[in-house]
Amino acid sequence: MIRYLTAGVKHAFGLYRPGRTVPVRPDDILLASYPNSGNTWMRFLIANLVHPDREVSYGNLHQLVFDPDVSVKRDFDRAPRPRIVKTHGSFDPRYRRVIYLVRDPRDVALAQYQRLRQLRSIGDEFSLEDLIGRFLAGGHAASLVSTDHFGSWGENAGSWLAASFRHPGLLLLRYEDLLADAARELTRVAEFAGLPETTERISQAVARSAPDKITDSEKEQGRDVPLVPSAKSGGWRSDLPKPLVARIEAAWGDIMACLGYELVTRDSHSALESSLLGLLAVGAAGSTGEQREEALVGDTSERAGLSAERTTAR
Amino acid sequence: MNQIPMNQTSTIKRLITATKRVLGHANPGRYFEVFDDDTFIVSFPKSGNTWTRFLIANLLHPEEPANFGNIDRLIPESEGLTRNQLARVPRPRIMKSHEYFDARFRKVVYIVRDPRDVAVSQFHFFRKKRRIGDDHSIEQFVTRFVAGQTCDYGSWGENVASWLVARQNSPGFLLLRYEDMVARTGVELTRVASFLGVQATPDLVAQAVERSSADRMRKLEGAKATASVTQNTRQDIPFVRAAGSGGWKTDLPEKSALELETAWAPLMKWLGYGPSLVRTPAANEARIKVPAPGAPAR
Repeated sequence: MIRYLTAGVKHAFGLYRPGRTVPVRPDDILLASYPNSGNTWMRFLIANLVHPDREVSYGNLHQLVFDPDVSVKRDFDRAPRPRIVKTHGSFDPRYRRVIYLVRDPRDVALAQYQRLRQLRSIGDEFSLEDLIGRFLAGGHAASLVSTDHFGSWGENAGSWLAASFRHPGLLLLRYEDLLADAARELTRVAEFAGLPETTERISQAVARSAPDKITDSEKEQGRDVPLVPSAKSGGWRSDLPKPLVARIEAAWGDIMACLGYELVTRDSHSALESSLLGLLAVGAAGSTGEQREEALVGDTSERAGLSAERTTAR
Repeated sequence: MNQIPMNQTSTIKRLITATKRVLGHANPGRYFEVFDDDTFIVSFPKSGNTWTRFLIANLLHPEEPANFGNIDRLIPESEGLTRNQLARVPRPRIMKSHEYFDARFRKVVYIVRDPRDVAVSQFHFFRKKRRIGDDHSIEQFVTRFVAGQTCDYGSWGENVASWLVARQNSPGFLLLRYEDMVARTGVELTRVASFLGVQATPDLVAQAVERSSADRMRKLEGAKATASVTQNTRQDIPFVRAAGSGGWKTDLPEKSALELETAWAPLMKWLGYGPSLVRTPAANEARIKVPAPGAPAR
């Protein structure tokens, strides 16, 4: 009963963590990603960009970029607009402006494996193969790191990409592009979200959010297990056995191909051939055949087709 | 100082809401608790969800023919119940939902219907519910429908695509086309039965189909005008209306049909909903190509 009363009073005064019940406002900007895909890094980048006068750390990050599972409801209500909100959730049409940050699932699986071992959520007897099984099934793998269900990587990325072909405002970012040129990608975010975008502000934010700086901030907060363990890409090429790579590509080859991730165990063309997502991505890009072709083939020097499509479509 | 009374009112209001929530009298909406053994009958609104519920309820409960009074108990709607009521539904639960993709739903029967028929149906349903007046044109309505502004479940395309891309190859996902259900109800219901792991003899299936026919549902609707779907609505517009497929060909202005087809051409093509006019459908000429090597992540 006391527990109920405490919960009730917290509710009445907005001191609870709203989770998925948070009321969405039309100008909210959602930063969505599957876990282990660089969300924390991106939050540091955005927070440092918006608040150059403050020292951003794990202690205050959730007050600058909101996390419905950590920030309390009252802070949400009092936040200056537009609010920037973090989620690991799947597609949510209530948000009309979404930054979706995606990372190669082969690297995500490795990152998740390392993290779960560091957290001692899984023991030494739990093999990488076991992890891939759970990773592909979704749900249960996610529940190891959180109480919510984000779906599998394919469900999460697939639901956002599938629905966003009619979404007026979705900015697709790849973690790999972020690693290659953080300033360029942060500038895209700033343009999309209407944040300061001067060269000085951008480069200052990038410098202040360098992975080693974030790790220092983690240590100050008494975190033994860094949230940003290894800022690198392509680790799967050496660390993930080929049969496991093949399982991931068999399950999500079409999504990966749409995102411009090279497949090594199957042909990208055949992965896309019978794919609904491939059809949606191509068909939605424009009203003419040329525009559509452009969407998947054009702009390859910079980014994968979908990201090019999204930036023009918004 | 003058603002204090206002603050007090809102504090009292918030306390009442909070108390209701804590005691489980509030409707948890989208955030109700989901169990691993739940099965969900999911569709965008006006896509045959109620008919499918009738079919399944009549199959599972031959002793209690479904009607508009008991259907919310036989196959409840998660959003229509309070947390306490939801907790009392016997497990494993079979529930109705209109949600866009929700990763927590592990077992899903998803019904899809030609969006041109869905738009016509929702237009008449909203008139029945008095959410739009007689002066609201169907052209106006379709524009809002395409933008996803007619209900809280995303647009038709968002709802359908989010489920299909996430789950189409998953063993816990059964896709039904409303048009197939109309054409061969028994066959489709047998598929549902085997998906649910239910023994369904041809006699039981035939009985369920008979008890859920459009004629019978119209009669039941007349007898039970107090049911949740028909309560406080215009009685001159029926809930069970055309109950067919392709009605849009006569009811939907060409301009509106084109608007829908332009918005969702690839998805409609994939589902077998062809264009109304002979012209180059957007999806036909789309040659799928992969980003050139070198584009992949560095």
